[in-house]
Amino acid sequence: MELTQEEVLQILNLIEKSDFDFMQLQVGELKLTVSKGNYVPSAVAAPAVASDPPPAAKPAPQIKESKPKAEPVAAKPKQPAAAADGVVIVAPMVGTFYTTPEPGAPPFVDLGAPVDEETTVGLIEVMKVFNAVQSHARGVIAEICVQNGQFVEYGQTLFIVKPKAAAGQKKAK
Amino acid sequence: MSVSRVLVANRGEIALRVIRACRALGIETVAAVSEADRDNLVARAADRSVCVGPPRPTDSYLKIEAIISAALGTVCDALHPGYGFLAERPELAEACEKNGIKFIGPHAESIRRMGNKIKARTLAQEFGIPVVSGSEKVHNFKEATAEAQKIGFPVLIKAAAGGGGRGMKIVASAGQLQGAFEMASAEARAAFGDPTLYLERYIANARHIEVQILGDRHGNVIHVGERDCSLQRRHQKVIEEAPAAALPLKLREEIQNAAVTIAKKIGYENAGTIEFLLDQDAERFYFLEMNTRIQVEHPVTEAISGMDLVQEQLRIAAGEPLSRSQSEVKLSGHAIECRITAESAAHGFRPCPGLITEWQPPEGDDIRVDTHCYAGYRVPPFYDSLLAKLIVRGENRIEAVGKMQDALETFFVSGIETTIPFLRFIAQRLEYVKGEVNTRWLESVLATSSFQAATAATSYQ
Repeated sequence: MELTQEEVLQILNLIEKSDFDFMQLQVGELKLTVSKGNYVPSAVAAPAVASDPPPAAKPAPQIKESKPKAEPVAAKPKQPAAAADGVVIVAPMVGTFYTTPEPGAPPFVDLGAPVDEETTVGLIEVMKVFNAVQSHARGVIAEICVQNGQFVEYGQTLFIVKPKAAAGQKKAK
Repeated sequence: MSVSRVLVANRGEIALRVIRACRALGIETVAAVSEADRDNLVARAADRSVCVGPPRPTDSYLKIEAIISAALGTVCDALHPGYGFLAERPELAEACEKNGIKFIGPHAESIRRMGNKIKARTLAQEFGIPVVSGSEKVHNFKEATAEAQKIGFPVLIKAAAGGGGRGMKIVASAGQLQGAFEMASAEARAAFGDPTLYLERYIANARHIEVQILGDRHGNVIHVGERDCSLQRRHQKVIEEAPAAALPLKLREEIQNAAVTIAKKIGYENAGTIEFLLDQDAERFYFLEMNTRIQVEHPVTEAISGMDLVQEQLRIAAGEPLSRSQSEVKLSGHAIECRITAESAAHGFRPCPGLITEWQPPEGDDIRVDTHCYAGYRVPPFYDSLLAKLIVRGENRIEAVGKMQDALETFFVSGIETTIPFLRFIAQRLEYVKGEVNTRWLESVLATSSFQAATAATSYQ
């Protein structure tokens, strides 16, 4: 037997004024709980119906999207190769990185160049605005991880600086 | 298709939704992610991801320069803003245009025209669409008093730049006006940087009805039926349905036509939603506002129309005509969506970020779950609390309600608190099952003692 929506609503109207707390309706495909009081868990309401296995019996959850792959996509930029005794200079914003102040000019820093906290090591262009990237570390440039004109992400490694302290240990204050 | 790579400028379930639509059309995707989202499902589902900044939205998802740089740097020819974040900022649409990137949404000009509520109201009125009687801008408390007297109490104070209920206050009598006016003004300034307010007549027994619109570059505008989003808490939608079962047949056609008229007159392109207020006692509807983006609740419309609205957005942005004419849009059945958030209803809807240890969504033919969550996912504290949207479809509303009850029963989440227990409780209420609700109903239920008792008994699922 099937009930139409109108018939269900009629039933609800009939019983609305009666003194019930909750009722459960199951006709054909339709399963409906109606409550005037507390929430009624389905396990309490329909003990006789065996169609629904208890929740614990459900199969293991399945994530709809494909499970995260072990390795990120090839296009992903390299993350800092853990520089044993190096300090990493990272991009402070997303944009295009320039190693030189203008096309054709020598780069701000070369391999082995000494830097301190204030040294400009490159520029990042974000929508035609050029932002100076500062070293924030004292030492010498040990590794250059980006090329002129390369697109860089926020937090991407640009340079690795070998700290002064590591080079000339004794003078550590 | 003239779109080949899309920057997805959003996060969470909608970012995955956009990626899915792109994939179906053979379009590549680049996900713009914050540092907090670097390793999540969105970053992995996209063909590539780009970290655009630190976790705080103002430093990443809300930063136009960073988003545009990411699109340019990865050679994207289009950008999808999702909803929220920058979706309704005309500056983003403009920046896209300036940089040769197709913005998957309306023109900046349309966003601007419909973004200011007073201007949008005036426009609707010019088009012959009814609006709730109200005032123009009120500059101070004295003006507000005069306007309120004209409109009559209760009166609603609203922010011109408003959204999400901020800067909105119901004022029952003249004595409450000053306090409410000052508070609304302060809230509007804090939330939108614009303290401008206006007044509207308050409709007590109202429903929130909205019409889904699609417009293309060739001047075609269609509607894809309406939705009822009357179940709200603090002006945030909680449960949405399509179609609006409570809408009298005669009004349904009128409200759909009104929405198409507005969209046509402003030359609207892409997906949009026109919101109306239905006065259930007077059986009249009024224009409320327009949302110039894809909405959270779009799946209920998809469920009864068989259309993929995000794919339509992509086609429209590529310059193609709409895939269907109005007469080809066939709506059948009834769909309901529940928003499942990381909040504890038993504790005043306190946000509950943290590690999800178990995540077992319901499965079935008429069930759809849009989510970015999985067991082992840590919900970050920086963003909104939406975890998943549970959508069911039935042949009629009663069947859909039954299916929603069943689906909620078999949705298991552990590790964090969610609103699932609260939604189970609501879905059983007699008034909800019968469809006898209005925009205030949900909050009135929350205030009852039986809700408190129910949440106390089942607060941890």
